[in-house]
Amino acid sequence: MDYDKLLTLSGELGYHLLLSGAEIYRVEESVRYLLQAYGVGPGEVFAIPNCIIVGISSPGQKPLTRMRRVGPHGTNVRKIEALNALCRRLCAETPDLDQAWEALQTAAADQTYFSTPQQLSAYFLGTAAFCLFFGGTLADAAASGLCGVAIGVSLIFMSRLGTNLFFKTIAGGFVSALAAVVLVALGLGTHINLIIIGAIMALAPGVVITNFMRDIMAGDMLSGLSKFAEALLTGAGIALGTGLALSLARMLGGAA
Amino acid sequence: MPFLDWFLPCFYAFAACLGFCVPFNIRGLGAVICSLGGGLAWLVYLIAGPLTGYHDLMQYFWAAVFLSAYSEGMARVRKCPVTGYMLVAFLPLVPGAGIYNMMEYALNGDTERFLSTGMHTLSIAGALAVGVLVVSSLMRMYTALRRRRRI
Repeated sequence: MDYDKLLTLSGELGYHLLLSGAEIYRVEESVRYLLQAYGVGPGEVFAIPNCIIVGISSPGQKPLTRMRRVGPHGTNVRKIEALNALCRRLCAETPDLDQAWEALQTAAADQTYFSTPQQLSAYFLGTAAFCLFFGGTLADAAASGLCGVAIGVSLIFMSRLGTNLFFKTIAGGFVSALAAVVLVALGLGTHINLIIIGAIMALAPGVVITNFMRDIMAGDMLSGLSKFAEALLTGAGIALGTGLALSLARMLGGAA
Repeated sequence: MPFLDWFLPCFYAFAACLGFCVPFNIRGLGAVICSLGGGLAWLVYLIAGPLTGYHDLMQYFWAAVFLSAYSEGMARVRKCPVTGYMLVAFLPLVPGAGIYNMMEYALNGDTERFLSTGMHTLSIAGALAVGVLVVSSLMRMYTALRRRRRI
């Protein structure tokens, strides 16, 4: 058995899972199962949202460790599902390490993603439906949808520039509130608060709230706390961004 | 019309979730199941209203419990990670309006209402978290029990 290859394989699997936004316990369990399936006794793995360390030690061998730093990333459920299925398959069949490496590379290289127009129309649908959900009229919903598209554009643009999460959220909130003020001034929609509430759902830290609790319950306090901080920062960022735009509009004597 | 009062919000929640499946790259059947979870969770929230005397923290709690159980169940049926269903379906329950109202009170210098809305928003987040916590802990205990039996 080539321990170097196995270590690289399992480290890379964990890295790609983390990069796709999988929960910490899933990353750790997947790597541990993989090491077990290939017959390496006590494999050690430690992961936090932006780093993963895998170590193996076997009798008569030097202990080996591999560490990967994980950069800022979003959530790609399709990839998590693919990697999860791959991990199940590898554990069940334990193919040759080279083959397994090939399979992992193919799964990781999968860049299937919705095109930008598709994403923007999804932002429109999502935010417009949320505006109706909170009690807006149809005109409000249309305005909210447009604000959602504005958020989508700014998010996609800034992700390409590699902006950090906090600033991205502030800018998203700012753009959406500004768009809402302009749209209401132009006569589309009347309830500016409902329009903005619908639109900022595109930024809301729902993902993080559900994930941090699951991490804490699984005993990963460090990851749970860092995600909790992320949720608080995102909430504050939304409030800051929209507040900034609204006070600016008031200063200029606008609608709000 | 009472029927529309119940159905429309759930339908809007469903549509909103369907939209937000796209940025998270959830496709096909998974997206439909997940959005259905979002709509049903809101239905549970509405049903829990009369049962808990319109105590909204309890309503959020029961909706979160239902949604976690639904996602755990679907994840086992389809052999896919739970997160895929939870992420987006939770959005209708997230207190986005609370965040906005907080900001508006702060902007108006209304400290008292800012603080009370802030506390309320945080308690809603807490109620959701506890709901998720209860179900996922029970699921963990159940899997541990099953594993022990098998050995």
